[in-house]
Amino acid sequence: MSKQKEPYIPLDMPRVLGSKNKLLSLWHLMRGYHFHYFVSTVFLALAAFARTGMYVFLGTFIDRMMNEGLMGPELTLSALTFGALIALQALSSFMSSWMANFTAENSTRRLRDYLFDHIQRLSYSYHSESKTGDLLERATSDVDTLRRFFAEQAIGVGRIVMIFIISFIAIARINLRLALFSIIIIPIVLAISIVFFKRLSKAYEAYQEQGAILTTDLQENLSGVRVVKAFARQDYEIEKFDKENAEKFRLGRKFNWMHALFWPLSDIICSAQTIGSNFYAATMVLNGVMTLGDFISFHGLLGWLIWPIRNLGRLIIDTSRALVSFGRISVVLQAPEEDMTAATYQPEDGIKGQICFDQVSFAYEKDYLVLDDVSFSCEAGQVVALLGSTGSGKTSLVNLLPRFYDVTSGQILLDGVNLNEYSREFLRSQIGIVEQEPFLFSCSIRDNITYGVHREVSQEEIEEAAREAAIHEVILGFKNGYDTLVGERGVTLSGGQKQRLAIARTLLINPRILILDDSTSSVDMETEVQIRAALDSLMNNRTTFIIAHRIQSIMNADLILVFDKGKIVQMGEHEVLLNQDGIYKDIYDIQARIDSALQEEIDRVESI
Amino acid sequence: MSNQYNEEELDDVVDLKSGVVGRLMRALKPYWPQMLLAIIGIASVSYLDAYYTVLNKRIIDEGIVARNLPVMIGLFRNYAIVVLAQTVGFFLMIFIIGRLGEQLRYDFRKKLFHHLQNLSLSYFSKTPLGWIMSRVTSDTEKMADLLTWGVLDTVWAVTNISFAVFFMLQLNAALAVIVIISLPIMIFVSFKFRVKIYHHYRQSRKANSKMTASLNENITGVRIVKALRREAKNLDDFKVLSTNMYQESYRAVLLSAIYLPTIQTISAISLVLILWRGGLQVASGAITIGVLQAFISYIMMILWPIQDLARVYAEMQNAIASSERVFSLLDMQPEIRNREDLLPVDSLAGDVEFEDVSFHYEDDEPVIKNLSFHIPQGQTVALVGTTGGGKTTIVNLLCRFYEPSSGVIRIAGHDYTQYPLEDIQSRIGVVLQVPHLFSGSIRDNLRYGRLDASDEEIEQAAKMAGAHDFIMNFEKGYDQDVGEGGNQLSVGQKQLVSIARALLAEPDIFVMDEATSSVDTLTEALIQKGMHQLMSGRTSFIIAHRLSTIKSADLIMVIEDGQIIERGNHKSLMRNKGHYYNLYTKQFRHDLETKYDLFADQEPDASAA
Ligand SMILES: Nc1ncnc2c1ncn2[C@@H]1O[C@H](COP(=O)(O)OP(=O)(O)OP(=O)(O)O)[C@@H](O)[C@H]1O
Ligand SMILES: Nc1ncnc2c1ncn2[C@@H]1O[C@H](COP(=O)(O)OP(=O)(O)OP(=O)(O)O)[C@@H](O)[C@H]1O
Ligand SMILES: [Mg+2]
Ligand SMILES: [Mg+2]
Repeated sequence: MSKQKEPYIPLDMPRVLGSKNKLLSLWHLMRGYHFHYFVSTVFLALAAFARTGMYVFLGTFIDRMMNEGLMGPELTLSALTFGALIALQALSSFMSSWMANFTAENSTRRLRDYLFDHIQRLSYSYHSESKTGDLLERATSDVDTLRRFFAEQAIGVGRIVMIFIISFIAIARINLRLALFSIIIIPIVLAISIVFFKRLSKAYEAYQEQGAILTTDLQENLSGVRVVKAFARQDYEIEKFDKENAEKFRLGRKFNWMHALFWPLSDIICSAQTIGSNFYAATMVLNGVMTLGDFISFHGLLGWLIWPIRNLGRLIIDTSRALVSFGRISVVLQAPEEDMTAATYQPEDGIKGQICFDQVSFAYEKDYLVLDDVSFSCEAGQVVALLGSTGSGKTSLVNLLPRFYDVTSGQILLDGVNLNEYSREFLRSQIGIVEQEPFLFSCSIRDNITYGVHREVSQEEIEEAAREAAIHEVILGFKNGYDTLVGERGVTLSGGQKQRLAIARTLLINPRILILDDSTSSVDMETEVQIRAALDSLMNNRTTFIIAHRIQSIMNADLILVFDKGKIVQMGEHEVLLNQDGIYKDIYDIQARIDSALQEEIDRVESI
Repeated sequence: MSNQYNEEELDDVVDLKSGVVGRLMRALKPYWPQMLLAIIGIASVSYLDAYYTVLNKRIIDEGIVARNLPVMIGLFRNYAIVVLAQTVGFFLMIFIIGRLGEQLRYDFRKKLFHHLQNLSLSYFSKTPLGWIMSRVTSDTEKMADLLTWGVLDTVWAVTNISFAVFFMLQLNAALAVIVIISLPIMIFVSFKFRVKIYHHYRQSRKANSKMTASLNENITGVRIVKALRREAKNLDDFKVLSTNMYQESYRAVLLSAIYLPTIQTISAISLVLILWRGGLQVASGAITIGVLQAFISYIMMILWPIQDLARVYAEMQNAIASSERVFSLLDMQPEIRNREDLLPVDSLAGDVEFEDVSFHYEDDEPVIKNLSFHIPQGQTVALVGTTGGGKTTIVNLLCRFYEPSSGVIRIAGHDYTQYPLEDIQSRIGVVLQVPHLFSGSIRDNLRYGRLDASDEEIEQAAKMAGAHDFIMNFEKGYDQDVGEGGNQLSVGQKQLVSIARALLAEPDIFVMDEATSSVDTLTEALIQKGMHQLMSGRTSFIIAHRLSTIKSADLIMVIEDGQIIERGNHKSLMRNKGHYYNLYTKQFRHDLETKYDLFADQEPDASAA
C-alpha cells in the first residue's frame, strides 16, 4: 500500500452509495469541497448584486440626466461608478467560476483514481462477465459528464436561484405588479420542461446506449481482426456495423428533432414574456407610474429575470444526463471489491505449503458445478500434477488457491488452516502462477519480466531469470534487447516467446507455491527440456501444481490427479495409476504407442 | 502505447494547412443545399439579433419619450413579428444543422470503418487499438461539429458584429468609433487567451488518452495484475497520469475563468467612455436617450460573438488536428491489396509453392530467409521447429496476411497476388495460434465460419472437432455465451471451437497453427480420425510440437531461424539423425532417464539459483 500523502480527502463511498437520492450522492462526491462550493455561490451572489446594481444605477443615471442634466465631474463620476460595478461583477464571476472549477476538477480527479482502483480490485468473476469497452466508457465519458455537472450544473442551481431572486427583488422595488406580471410564464415553462424532460432524457439515453453498442462493436471487430481476415468476413462486419451505425443516426435524428422543438418553443414563450412585460412597463411610463430611467433599468433586469427561467429547462436536462451517468457509474461502484486484507492469519515464518482440499465444489454460475466434491491432500514441497480432459476444471481448481474465486462448498486447508483465514494479499504474495494464456503489457521486455517484483531488480537477476526460462538468447537477438517494446498483448512475439517471458516473470518472484498452468504448450520439446531443468530446480521444496497434457511432463509428480467433468476420477503416483484401468492408462497408452514406435525407430536407426 | 502515437498528439498548434481544411470542407459537398439554407438562416437570425436594439431604441425615442401610444403599439407588434420570424429560423436551423451533423458523423464513421476493414494486419499489430477507436468515435464527432456548428457560429459571430457595427455607425459615428477601436483589442485578447487555453486543453486531452490507455490495459490484463499484486503500484502510476490530467485541465479552466472577466473589463472601459461621451451628447441634445441605450446594449451584446469566434477558432484547431489524424488513417494504403488485373478463381485446390521467399516485419530483421518448397495438391505438411523459428510467420504469408518481401508464393500455378484477396482468405481455413472468439453464443461463433450454415451443419462440425460433447453439457448448449474474447470457456474449449469454425468453412487449404496445443490427449486422439478424413484431398499445413500430431504427415519441414533445415517424412528424417531426430529423441532420452531415476533432479541442485 502506498503511504504517500494523498492530495485530497478520501471519498466516503458508503455514504455516496448509501444516499437514497442520486443528487445527494453527487453532493457526497464533492466531499471536502463543499466549502469551495459555498464560496463560489457567495461570489455568484455578489456578481448578481453587482450586475443588478448596474442596471438600477443606469436607471437613476438616465433619470437624473433627463431631469437635471448631468454635467462635468458628476457625469464622469457616474460613468466611473458604472465601470466599477462592471469590474466588480467581472471579478466576482471569476472567483465564482474559479472555485466551481476547482471543486469540479478535484472531485473528478478523486473519482477517477477511485474508479481505477475499484475496477482493478473487482473480482475475477465480475471481470469475466463484463466488457472492457463498457467499463471504459463508464470510467471515462460518464465521469466526464459528472465533471461538467460539478463545474456547471451543480453551481447552476445556485446561480439560477440567486439571479432570479435578486433580479426579482430589484424589479419589485421598481414596481411590484410589473415584477409579478413578469413571472407568469414560469408554470408554462416548467410544464414544457417536464413534458420534454422525460422524452429528451430518454432519447438521449437511447442515443448514448447506441453509441456504447457501436463502440463495443468496433472494439470486438478490432480485437478480433485476425479472425475477421482469416475468414474474409469484412463484408459481414461492415454490414453489421452499418446497421448499428444507421441506428445511431436514426436515434440522433430523433434526439435532434426534440431539441429543435424544445428550444424554439421555450424561446418563443420567453420572448412573449419579454415583449408583454416591456409593453406593460412602457405603458406604465406613458401613464406616469414609472420613469424612463425605471423603464431602462427594468428593460435590462428583465433579461436577467427571464434568463434563469429559460435556463431552467437546460439545467434540468443536463442534470438528468448527469444522473444517468452517475447511475451507470454507481453500478460499477456498487459491485463489491475483493477484500485483499480482510482475514489476518499470517504465519510468522511464511507458509510451508501443505495443502488439503476437503470436499471442494465450485461453480461459476449457479447449478453448474465445474468442480464437484474434490478431495485430496499433499505435503509441503510436493509436486501435484493435474491431468484431464479439456474443460474438466483444472484451471478453475488452481484459481481457487490465490482466492481468485472462493469455493462454493467444502474447504481448502493450507498448512492446516482454512484458506479463507489468509488474506488474499498474503496468499498472492506466496503463490506464483504462470497463466495458461500469458498476458503481456505493452511496455519493454524488461518491464514485463519485472512486473511482479516489488523491489529494485538488478539486470543480472533479470538475465538470470530469462536464462532459466530459455529466453535470454532470444531477447539478445532483438535489435533493442531487453528494451524491445512488446506490442499490445504481446502480438509481436511468437507463442513460445510469450510463454517463456511469463515463466521468467514468475521465476523472478520466487514464490512458495508455484502453479504452472499448461505453461509449455507452445514450446517445442527441445526448449521444454531446457525450461524443465530450470523448473525442476525451482520446484525444489516448493509445493507445485503442474497442469499438462503430456504424461512425460508429469510422471515425476508426487501426486497425479486425473480429472473428468469436474471430478477426480483417479489419483496417485504414476506407477500406481499405470496399473489401474482408466483414463490415465488410456492416455499413457496412446502416448506410449507413439513413444515405443519412436523407440523402435531409434533402435533401427542406431543399428544401421 | 508505442511512442509514435503519443508524439503524434503532441504537436500543439496545428498550422491550418489548406489541404486539410479543403478536404474537410469537401465532406459537405453532397449537402450544400442544406448548408446554404442554414447559412442564410443564421445570417438572418443574426441580422434580427442586431435589429432588436434598433427597435428598442425606436420604442424608447418614438414611443415612450415622444409619448405616442399608437406608434409604440405598432413597434411592439413589429417586435413580435420579428421574434416569430426568428423563432422559425431558429427551429429550421437546429433541425437542419443538427440533422446534418448526425449525417456527417454517420458518413465519417462509415467511411473509416469500411477503410479499416481493408487495412492489413501489419497496421493493426503496430497501432494501439485505443488509438484507432478514438479516431472513429471522438475525432469524427469533432469534425462534424466543426463543419456544422463551427461554421454556423462563425457566420453568426461575423455577421452579428458586422450588423452591430453597421447599425452603430448609422446611429452615431462618433460613439461608434469608440466601440470600433475596442473591438480589435478584445478580439486580439480573446485569441491570445484561446491559444493558451487551447494549449492546456490539448495537453489535458493527451493526458486523458494516456489515462484511458492505462485503464484499458489494466482491465484487459486484470488477472495478471491481481496475480502479481500490482494494484498499489498501478494505482500510483495511474495517479501520476490523473494528476497530470488534473493540472492541465485545471489550468485550462482557470484561464477560461480569467478570460471572460478580462474582456468584460475591457468592454467596461469602452462603456465608461460611451456613457461619458454619450452623456455629454444627450445633455447637449446631439443624441437621444434611445441611442445611448442602444450603444450600451451593443457593447454588452458584442461580447458574445467575440467569445464565440475565439471558441470556434480553438475548436477549429482541435478539429483540424482530428481531421489530420483521420485523413492520415484514410490515406493509409493497405499494404496488401488486390492487383489491377485479377484472376478470378473458383477454387484454390492445387499445388502450393514457395519460391525463394524472404520476409521481415517492420523492424527489418529477416524472419524468413530464402524459403522454397513445393507441396502437391492434397498433401499434409507439418511444420516443426524451435519456438520463434518463423512457423506462424509462414502461415501469415500463406494466408496473405502479409506478403513476401521478396520471392513468390504460387497457389494452383499462379502467383497468389494475382488472386482477389477475399478469395484466398475465404478458401483457406486457418486455426490461429491464439484462439479468439467473439462475444456472443457458441453458435454465432461457429457460424462465423460459414454464414449460411444450418444448425445441423454446425453440430456436424462441432462433433468433428470434438466440441459437441462439452457444448451439450452447458445449460444452454449451443446458445451458451462465451464472454468477451471467449474468456468464459477453457482454453482447450476455445481451441476446439476455433477448429470447428474453420471446418465449417470447408476450405480448399487447411491450416492449423498449434490448434490443439491445449487439448488433452484423449480428445485429440478422438478428433484425429475425423481430421485425417477431412485433410485427405485438401492441402493442409499443420504446426505442432507434439509428435502424435505430425508423425503421419506426408512431409515434415523443420524450420529454424526462418529456414528449412530439414525436410522429409517421419521415417526418413529419423533415419537422417539430424535436427528432427534430436528434437524428439533428446526429449525422449531425457524422459527415459528420469523414468528410471525418479526424482533424480529433485535433489538440491547446486547450480540452480
Ligand atoms: N508482428 C510482428 N512484428 C515483429 N516481429 C514479429 C511479429 N510477429 C512475430 N515476430 C517475430 O518473428 C519471429 C518468428 O515468430 P513466429 O511467430 O513466426 O514464430 P513461431 O515459429 O510461430 O514460434 P512459436 O512456435 O513460438 O509459435 C519471432 O522472433 C517473433 O518475435
Ligand atoms: N469465467 C468463467 N465463467 C463461466 N464458466 C467458466 C469460466 N471459466 C471457465 N468456465 C467453464 O468451467 C469449465 C472448466 O474450465 P477450466 O478452464 O477450469 O478447464 P480446464 O480443465 O482448465 O480446461 P483446459 O485444459 O482446456 O484449459 C469449462 O466448462 C468452462 O466452460
Ligand atoms: Mg485450463
Ligand atoms: Mg507460432
